[in-house]
Amino acid sequence: MDSSAPRGSWPLGKVLKVFPDKRGLVRSVKLQTKTNIIVLQLTIKPWPRTVLWGAGSTPCWRIMIVLEEKNLQGYNQKLLSFEKGEHKSKEVMDMNPRGQLPSFKHKNYVLNDSYAACMYLESQFSQGKKLIPDCPAEQALMYQRMFECLDFHQKMAIVIYYNWMVPEAERHDSAVKRNREDLSAEIKLWEGYLQKASGSFVAGKNFSLADVVFFPSVAYLYRFGFCEERYPNLAAYYNSLKDRPSIKASWPPTWLENPQGQDLLKDL
Amino acid sequence: MAKDMTLLWGSGSPPCWRVMIALEEKNLQGYNQKLLSFEKMEHKSQQVLDINARGQLPSFQHGDVIVNESYAACFYLESQFKSEGNKLIPDSPAEQALMYQRMFEGLSFYEKLNAVLYYDWYVPEGERHDSALKRNREALSAELKLWEGYLQKLGPTSHLAGTCFSLADVTVFPTVATLFRFGLPAERYPILAEYYALLKERPSIKASWPPHWLENPKGQDSLQDI
Repeated sequence: MDSSAPRGSWPLGKVLKVFPDKRGLVRSVKLQTKTNIIVLQLTIKPWPRTVLWGAGSTPCWRIMIVLEEKNLQGYNQKLLSFEKGEHKSKEVMDMNPRGQLPSFKHKNYVLNDSYAACMYLESQFSQGKKLIPDCPAEQALMYQRMFECLDFHQKMAIVIYYNWMVPEAERHDSAVKRNREDLSAEIKLWEGYLQKASGSFVAGKNFSLADVVFFPSVAYLYRFGFCEERYPNLAAYYNSLKDRPSIKASWPPTWLENPQGQDLLKDL
Repeated sequence: MAKDMTLLWGSGSPPCWRVMIALEEKNLQGYNQKLLSFEKMEHKSQQVLDINARGQLPSFQHGDVIVNESYAACFYLESQFKSEGNKLIPDSPAEQALMYQRMFEGLSFYEKLNAVLYYDWYVPEGERHDSALKRNREALSAELKLWEGYLQKLGPTSHLAGTCFSLADVTVFPTVATLFRFGLPAERYPILAEYYALLKERPSIKASWPPHWLENPKGQDSLQDI
């Protein structure tokens, strides 16, 4: 039919069935019209939001959790491969001269740092879940834990990615040992924080930006074989959050394909 | 309000300086403060450990609330005292996005500076390599070129996120000031030098200038060849 015809003249149809995608968003409907049964594909007008990301990357995961929490699903996204060096491709370099992922763009505004993107999204979008608490004490704790999490993540990265970050001629067993001890001490600190927390989230009773940045790093620990029994509060935190809808929806696809992770952190 | 606040700090420490600039900008002068010495290991003293289990400075307390990470303290102060003093987070989405972006790039900038200046502090003797220090210096050099470029694109008399002073300047200026303190050649980075000259006259920055830099105006020259 002619799409420029006035709406009052459009033939009517009855929706027989909807076909949601794996996120529950309806993309197709089966319609019965006077003459026919047809299946229409609904195309969602692309949001002016683009994420370039790499699977299993905690910074990328953080942004995707926020997009889900703020009901901003439907963003344009492109999964790139670190192994193939795609993070240094022209497409990424145009958005991010550092050649790093994630690379996030909203309209003309580019945010290549995950914390920057998360805070910007929370500030610009009041829909969906509120991710920064109003109460001063909870807010202060949230900011504190968010930024401590940078330390946590770094200490974990230097253990997991030591050989990738340090050229062969500069590696030392003493450094590896010290990095593992530092990570162990850091984890004990967080176990203590979670034990003292007033609720089941890292900054208290509400899910917040602190969880957005902390959870992916925790998930990484377990992906690399970290032992659940040794730190029960951390394990309880991990198990309770991994089923949160925003987290399930953004779970690294490569982890779903290969549920078996590595065991680098088994003896930590 | 300021009287309920306590800051434990060290002179010349960029993270401490960030919090002090924020406090000045929000008209919170009059906070309780104690200057401690890193050399005398006072950051590991009991009074610090009581507020900050990591034994690090700054350590900041507001009533019962403790916020030790400098960025966390800056965000907390801006949020709690939004209508006091100067606005530190712009309203316009474009400037806000740029502010967040530069603030967090600022963390990387600060780390690269430390990897050069404090290489021997961070790396035990048996693990040091000339190749690593060389690489750190090259990384800092590349980082500086990026920032020189960022400021150039914004034009003269600009702040890091646009026309207005913001949290991007609060968090990154101390790093820039440290670079020049340690001999960064102004001729090689003229736009960064202009930014430095412009901001060092700002009241909040003058008020919080590291005291030992005032006592010894001549800095060091570790960065003269960067």
